[in-house]
Formats: sequence, structure tokens, C-alpha cells
Amino acid sequence: MKNITVKYGVDSISKQVEDDFTFGDLQQSDTFKAALGFGDRTKALLEGIEQDRNIEIPSGATVRLETAANTKA
Amino acid sequence: MKPASLTGSGLSLFTMETTEIVIKENGTLTERIIRERDLNAEQSVLDALTDEMTRTSRHVLSIPGWGVAHANVGAIDTIWSVPIKQLPLNARFRLINGVLVPMFASGTDVEMPLVWQAPEEVRLVFVVRTIREDDYIKVAGNWLFARDRENRTYRLPLPNLHDDCLVCTGDFKDRFETAAECIGASLEQFRKSKWNADLMRTVAQSQKFFRFRPTNDTFETLPCQAEDWTKLCDKVCTAISERIVL
Repeated sequence: MKNITVKYGVDSISKQVEDDFTFGDLQQSDTFKAALGFGDRTKALLEGIEQDRNIEIPSGATVRLETAANTKA
Repeated sequence: MKPASLTGSGLSLFTMETTEIVIKENGTLTERIIRERDLNAEQSVLDALTDEMTRTSRHVLSIPGWGVAHANVGAIDTIWSVPIKQLPLNARFRLINGVLVPMFASGTDVEMPLVWQAPEEVRLVFVVRTIREDDYIKVAGNWLFARDRENRTYRLPLPNLHDDCLVCTGDFKDRFETAAECIGASLEQFRKSKWNADLMRTVAQSQKFFRFRPTNDTFETLPCQAEDWTKLCDKVCTAISERIVL
């Protein structure tokens, strides 16, 4: 298990997750969605750099989520 | 390691040199030499180091008919925040059980220029991003956000708004000599634009949020039809929303 902190706007949560927990897992997680209120379209940033969904989140990392822009329908 | 140190120093014309003798926990004596000199950093180096730094300034401009604009100034752009108390809703409406509600996708309901008065707990902010080009200032986007008292930011249940609250404004003149003109033109475009069904999700949330009661001579804004107005909105967080100044 590893500990991560996730920020979405003014809200944040710290939680223990599995060692192989990825940025994509975080973005799809109903637990984190419910706690922080983000939707289906997000991007995950580490130190301000957008991360690929397949990458495992480093232990102790603070991940910042942002709402991703959609294109015009 | 908790080093104890003895310090001496020497001075050259160009560098400051400091020598420390460190006693490590295992008893080893280690000499550590630190050289310091001022660097003639080029402006480009300083610009690169401060690329993501921004500075906030409140009450920078007064926008006639709207109020004040606060600024968040970055290296490449400025984010202008204009707190607004009301929302111009040029759209089609339908009277349902004595309450007038928007019908954005309708082609037959009556079109009316109603003005929605924001309740105190809904803090609306219209955001303009400006970029300085060679000899003019350019509008680089308009956003509409709603904030709660805890500074959480939300997307209102409106069409013509992207997920990140970017307003689909349509084309308008977006190059001016001053930022004040850019903000004024953006707000004027926002005021006179019609809300249609572009980027529409479900109208049900809009109809719970934007409600009016016809009176003898006007249309009174009714409270949202929800215990918590934020439940009718989407919580958002973007690089732009993080730079809002209220």
C-alpha cells in the first residue's frame, strides 16, 4: 500500500491505495469522485505536468486534478 | 547527520568562499568548501524561472455598467475577474405551473431577454483572459464561473458553456489597444448573446436553477428549486479557475 494526496480545487484528500494504483485508476475511482466531486473528464497533474493514465502514482505524491475541456458538440 | 562545524572565510574579487569543517557522527572530519558568486542572469533566464509566477491585483479597472475588474497577471497573459450579480438570459422560455423556465432547445417558445438575479450565496464571476501581442491586446477566452462561500468553483447548468466553463461566445472583435476595451467588448458580447442548445446537457437542471415569476410589470427571479444550489452544478477546477480573484 502507498499513501497519496489528491487535490481538486480547494478540497483535498489523503488516502492509502494499492501499490499499482495508476493516475487512470484515480480518475475513474468512485471513492475519490465522491469525496472530491470531480466528474468523468479530468486530467491529472504532478508538479504541474500532465500525467499519462497508465502511469503508477508515486508513493507520497500529491496529485492535482483539473477539469478537462470538452470540444464543441 | 547532525554536523558540528568550524567556519572560516576568504574573499576574492569575484567569489565569496566559505570553508566548513564538519564533524560527522562517526567522528570523521570533513572539509566542505562553498563558493558563491553573483551571476549576471540574462532576462530570458529570469523570465524562464518566473514563467509560472503570477501576481494578483484587486480593483484594477472599472468597467461601466458591470463594476470592477480584478487582475491576475502572469508572464504571458492576464486573467481578469469581473464579479457579476446578474446573468443576462436571452433565451426561449415556457410558463410551467406559473413559473417561467428556459427552453434552450425550443424553436417555438417565446424568446425573452430576461435577467437572472444571482442569490447572495451564488458568487458569479465573468473571466476574461487577455494576451499582449505586438501592438494590441487580444481577448484569449471568456469564462463564466459560480463560486460558493468556501471558494469551490462550479459550472452553471447552462448551454453554451464548455466543461471548463469556457463561454461559447461566437465571433466578435477581440483586438484592442487596452485591456479595459477587451473586457468591455467581452461583457457586451456576453450581454447580447442568445443562449441556444449548443453544449446543452439536460434542461431539467437549468429549469430548477433559472426560474422566474411574471409580475404585473416585470419578471421576478425565484430561488433555485433545490436545497443546495451546488447540486444542480458541476464542480470544476482548472488552471483558469485557480487564478480567479474575488
